[in-house]
Amino acid sequence: MLTSPATLTAPELELRQQVGAFLAETLPWGTFEPGLGMGAEVNPEFSAAVAERGWVGMAVPARYGGRDATAVDRFVVVEELLRWGAPVGHHWVADRQIAPVLVRYGTEEQKRWLLPRICRGELCFCIGMSEPDAGSDLASVRTRGVRDGDHWRVSGVKVWTSNAMRADFMIALCRTGEGARHQGLSRFLIDMRSPGVTVTPIPFLNGSTDHFAEVVLDGVPVPDEMVIGDIGQGWTQNANELAFERSGPDRWISTFLLVQEFVREWPDLAATPAGSRLVGELAAQYWVLRRLSLAVARAIDAGDTPAAEAALIKEMGTRFEQDVVSALRELLDRELVCSVPPAQTPSLFERLLRRAVLDSPSFTIRGGTNEVLRGVAAKGLS
Amino acid sequence: MSDNELQSAATKLFTVHSRWQDVGEAETAGWAPQLWDALQQSGFSDVPVAEELGGAGGSVADAVQLLRAAGAHAAPVPLAEAGLVGGWLLGCAGLALPKGVRTILPPAARLRLDGDRLFGTAPAVAWGHRAESVVGLVDGVVVLAPGPAAPSGGPAVSRGANLADEPRDTVVFDGVPVTARADAPDEVSEEKLWERTALGRAALMAGAISAIAAMTLRYSGEREQFGRPIGRFQAVQAHLVTIHQQAAVVASAVDGAVEAVELGRGSFEIACAKMLADRAAQLVTAAAHQTHGAIGMTKEYPLHYLTRRLWAWKDEAGGHHRWADLLGGALVARGPDALYPAIQYGSEVIQ
Repeated sequence: MLTSPATLTAPELELRQQVGAFLAETLPWGTFEPGLGMGAEVNPEFSAAVAERGWVGMAVPARYGGRDATAVDRFVVVEELLRWGAPVGHHWVADRQIAPVLVRYGTEEQKRWLLPRICRGELCFCIGMSEPDAGSDLASVRTRGVRDGDHWRVSGVKVWTSNAMRADFMIALCRTGEGARHQGLSRFLIDMRSPGVTVTPIPFLNGSTDHFAEVVLDGVPVPDEMVIGDIGQGWTQNANELAFERSGPDRWISTFLLVQEFVREWPDLAATPAGSRLVGELAAQYWVLRRLSLAVARAIDAGDTPAAEAALIKEMGTRFEQDVVSALRELLDRELVCSVPPAQTPSLFERLLRRAVLDSPSFTIRGGTNEVLRGVAAKGLS
Repeated sequence: MSDNELQSAATKLFTVHSRWQDVGEAETAGWAPQLWDALQQSGFSDVPVAEELGGAGGSVADAVQLLRAAGAHAAPVPLAEAGLVGGWLLGCAGLALPKGVRTILPPAARLRLDGDRLFGTAPAVAWGHRAESVVGLVDGVVVLAPGPAAPSGGPAVSRGANLADEPRDTVVFDGVPVTARADAPDEVSEEKLWERTALGRAALMAGAISAIAAMTLRYSGEREQFGRPIGRFQAVQAHLVTIHQQAAVVASAVDGAVEAVELGRGSFEIACAKMLADRAAQLVTAAAHQTHGAIGMTKEYPLHYLTRRLWAWKDEAGGHHRWADLLGGALVARGPDALYPAIQYGSEVIQ
């Protein structure tokens, strides 16, 4: 498995240089608050600037505003953005998930309408999957889409929805028919300004109130033009997307900046035998996770759908993201107490570490819990 | 030969000559003569040494491919020592391959040359007692010397063994005259010898881990408890996932190391590959034994041929800590902003 070459071609390396130069100019180190991977800040102006360079929705065909780029090109761009802690929050879901879904399942009209706006970095999406009684068991969603004259009406409750308060659209998994569990599910694009949509923040354990939300859908009208793919095919579509979603750099790089800033701010500790050993061990794991992740992108470009491999990588990569945090804490062996309000701590390392400790349990939950992923991966082995 | 042809030829050879029964017998007898003869006749023992030096040609990638197949069959012969490591060392110095069984004197050996005479002790020499010649790097000189099994004039040997009952013998030179010697070229150093040795072990480990992955998956589908195959239980699936994750990790790491070595570098990648293989050995052996239960603890069931080797090999050629310390020390010295480029470019940017 995953034997595709993990080296980059000259044009791909050139692309990396361009992204690096763009970041150094637009977002010089020290002038912004770097984030932890895909959980970084939301900044529509930055997203517009990235899009201006052609790096949002880049794999979208040029006739819809994209660049006809490959999955590996996107890997290169995303890797550079994330390892810089860049504020990718506004366009993240649109770029990673919605653009490929529309390219694959969207109608011509949907493509013409939405893809150019995604590629300009304008649109922010949220993903309406989880419900109070449907987390890992996604097929038990109860939000219903009911036919009402010439359109649909959607009712139900979505929870733990990231960025719902600022999203333009939600992609919502809903039940539209009966039948076996995995049948009768469909996906709608819901305009978040529609009547009947109520967004209520769910405070996150780190204190943030502008990330997680509950979204109540109360008879929200959805025209046929907003159905994604065929009615009743929502589950199959969803499963096919997971190779895109599950194996990118975002699944293993989230806590990299901690290691980098540890070496910067604790050079003496990093140079002790225990410190160097840890840095060496972590580097080896970053190196190989990156190779495997890149191999999946190559496989996607070759026309494969390596969903089981992607699940193996996400399961391993997200655990590693957490291990980085605990290994550094163990090495430091000190209390995380600030003498000033935490956000004003002059040490970037300390700010990142505090955030990482509080956020890291989510790494192995979001986008499919590791327990569910192991099941997906195990099925793919036989 | 193409990659696939080489792989299938090697697999065929090991399937015939390195059956579990053969491995068991070799562990008792200390040698597998038929397997070794087959490797010599096929030329596999002489990859990647150039044909003009008496080798069989081939690339580092070819040699690693053969070692993966050897590892998957727990092949009880000094294939890495003869080819990828020893053959490479001789070839670098322009020395021709000797006839017969050869092995390498490990980089940890304490040896000195006095004129053409070799003195000192080499510990843990793989299949030392069977070696008709030994290859070593002594004070910047590549040395070919008679081994303990040479017809006459060889060094003294005392037998030892690793956890897998592979011979790891102590060879003592008390002024043995060398057969041939040549100054090592600049690119060959003791550290490079460590790296080659580690690459050989990592390749064998990749093969053994892939064989364990297949064996454990098969067993979990056949063995039934509570009325269904144990592989249907989530708790067992978690073990299978661990094993296959680590198989993917080590396979990719060894590929990466080979790619770098073929470009004339590879220190970073080999250090990573050995570290990752050592870590994988721990995780995979634990998960595979847990999945197999009691039968995996028996001599009769072949899992132990692979797991004992992984336990032995993880500490050979420099264990996890040697490579982590070396790599981490170099990375910390280069500072924070060189860290990610090192992960991306490896030995292209860091030594």
